[in-house]
Amino acid sequence: MNLLESIRVALEGIMASKLRSLLTTLGIVIGIAAVIAVVAIGQGGRAVLMSEMEKIGTNIFAIYVDWRTNKQVTGREFDLSDVAVIKDKVPDITRLSPVNQVSGEARGTKDKKSTQILGVSSDYAYIRKFNMKEGRFFSEEDDTGKRRVAVLDEELGGQIFGRVDPLGSKVTLGSTPFLVVGVVAKGESALGFEENPKVYIPIQVWQVMFNTQVQELEGSAVSKEKVDEAMGQAVKVLERRHREPGKYASVSMEQEMKTANKITGIMTLVIGAIAGISLFVGGIGVMNIMLVSVTERTREIGIRMALGARRRDILVQFLIEAVMLCLLGGVIGMALGAGGAYLIAKLAKWPPLVSWYTALLAFAFSAAIGVVFGILPANKAARLNPIEALRRE
Amino acid sequence: MIRVENLGKTYMAGAHPVVALAGVNLEVKPGEFVAIMGPSGSGKSTLMNLLGCLDTPTSGCYFLDGTKVSGMNDTELARTRNRKIGFVFQTFNLLPRMSAMRNVEQPMIYAGVSPRERVRRAAQALERVGLAQRLHHKPSELSGGQVQRVSIARALVNNPSVILADEPTGNLDTRAGEEIMAIFQELNRSGVTIVLVTHEPDIALHTSRIVHFRDGRLVGDEPVADPLDARQLVSVEPAANQSGSSDQGGEAGLP
Repeated sequence: MNLLESIRVALEGIMASKLRSLLTTLGIVIGIAAVIAVVAIGQGGRAVLMSEMEKIGTNIFAIYVDWRTNKQVTGREFDLSDVAVIKDKVPDITRLSPVNQVSGEARGTKDKKSTQILGVSSDYAYIRKFNMKEGRFFSEEDDTGKRRVAVLDEELGGQIFGRVDPLGSKVTLGSTPFLVVGVVAKGESALGFEENPKVYIPIQVWQVMFNTQVQELEGSAVSKEKVDEAMGQAVKVLERRHREPGKYASVSMEQEMKTANKITGIMTLVIGAIAGISLFVGGIGVMNIMLVSVTERTREIGIRMALGARRRDILVQFLIEAVMLCLLGGVIGMALGAGGAYLIAKLAKWPPLVSWYTALLAFAFSAAIGVVFGILPANKAARLNPIEALRRE
Repeated sequence: MIRVENLGKTYMAGAHPVVALAGVNLEVKPGEFVAIMGPSGSGKSTLMNLLGCLDTPTSGCYFLDGTKVSGMNDTELARTRNRKIGFVFQTFNLLPRMSAMRNVEQPMIYAGVSPRERVRRAAQALERVGLAQRLHHKPSELSGGQVQRVSIARALVNNPSVILADEPTGNLDTRAGEEIMAIFQELNRSGVTIVLVTHEPDIALHTSRIVHFRDGRLVGDEPVADPLDARQLVSVEPAANQSGSSDQGGEAGLP
């Protein structure tokens, strides 16, 4: 008996009891759907996270005091001359800005709002790839001239100025008035991270206001390939200048992305494995029903043997029936899983990622379950004695 | 055609051996129509299972078409059943979910006949047993006599060396039984070898030779001098089944 004929006979067997076949395969349906959905959602989420991080910039890095050294933070860990020296000694660093921040209150013409006040240099706008909604980011001259100018987030501007154009207006930080020279356009974030509203002022003004040197450095390198090396060189320069080896730590977006990638990968794997267990349980369900089916169809097996079916033919017939059942479940599960992933992706505004190889893998996996859990019942059928099988009612 | 020499079968019922068949010598020539008779427990079913290659003897030899069947393995036995033997059972044993055509196709599936050829031969076989109008009916949609005719078509379709019929009329009324015997006689006239088990003398008298069994042994073997012709018995009745109650009368009227 050839394969095509075996498939036809198996399909006749499945179609003979449609409801039962459907219920039998339900475990496989749920298992495959869960695996497909989890993998698709995981991959979609990871893709979104990666593109978010890429949007911020893959070539940026930060240098900060390593808290694990337990050294007293004096606010004198960095100073402005460090920035100039590092830029001079590490040519791969294109931009470098001190970053100081403190939370405070910003008051506009309409309202006041608690906010993050950041002291940065003019390089910061390039490092963070700021897109100006209106006006400009403050310049190096604003910084060295210690001018009281400020740049607002679009969101903060709306909150404290209402419908009034913030550009050219005064914003009061604490008790000091600043002239608003620019508004930073709000970035589109698919992940929907709520960032605190921010206001940026020249670092040298910040230092005067809060009597602090530099807390942290942020910079960008010529490329993402060079970022880790450039960052390491900058740390060495700092250690030499301040004679404190091991005091400084650094992190690059490249490293963060690798970590994030690893974490999302592990999460997908773990949830996928749990979904895989439901596939295993589904397989046992198929085996159980196939065993019942063999008992019920003992007479049919006897008839087929009398008509000339070899033991192998009977084995193949029941094995293919189990595989077809599992494949049926696999296809339904794939449709459900892909649909679910698509729906969730749409709600979360993620790209739906059901790759063809995930589908192929699920297909192959359900067939494998059919073989593994079908072999026992099929073997039981093939071992029947024809005379006894024919006598069975 | 069929030749068995000193054939025996002993079962183990727990620790006690039970002799179901012992020292049977029998020869069936091509074109013969043989009835096997005997009370239940006489060993006729055991003989049929052995002749049908569903079971293997514990002693003796069995030759079918000159080939030694005793000693074959499972796969060879399955092949022999498929190519050389056609079964007709008392309980019909059709596959209930399938049409008459599909049922008749089954032996050819195991013989590796192409789908197109299968359909052609199945239709032909069903026509031969008078069911050309019932090709796509399922067994549940057919009468008992029609179902048994489907199983005869199934037995015929691979052109076997011998048809083994085990009480083929046992589950049928007298009239349907006569129709079945008419078909067997017709097939026999066209050269098909038939071995039939029955305990009804009336049925056995339709064959050309009666073999008697008792207690696992062959105790009698005689030709039938003047076999009954089922065609006459059937044709006495109108073709339609309306006058069903007159069945008995019609048959009794014949001598």
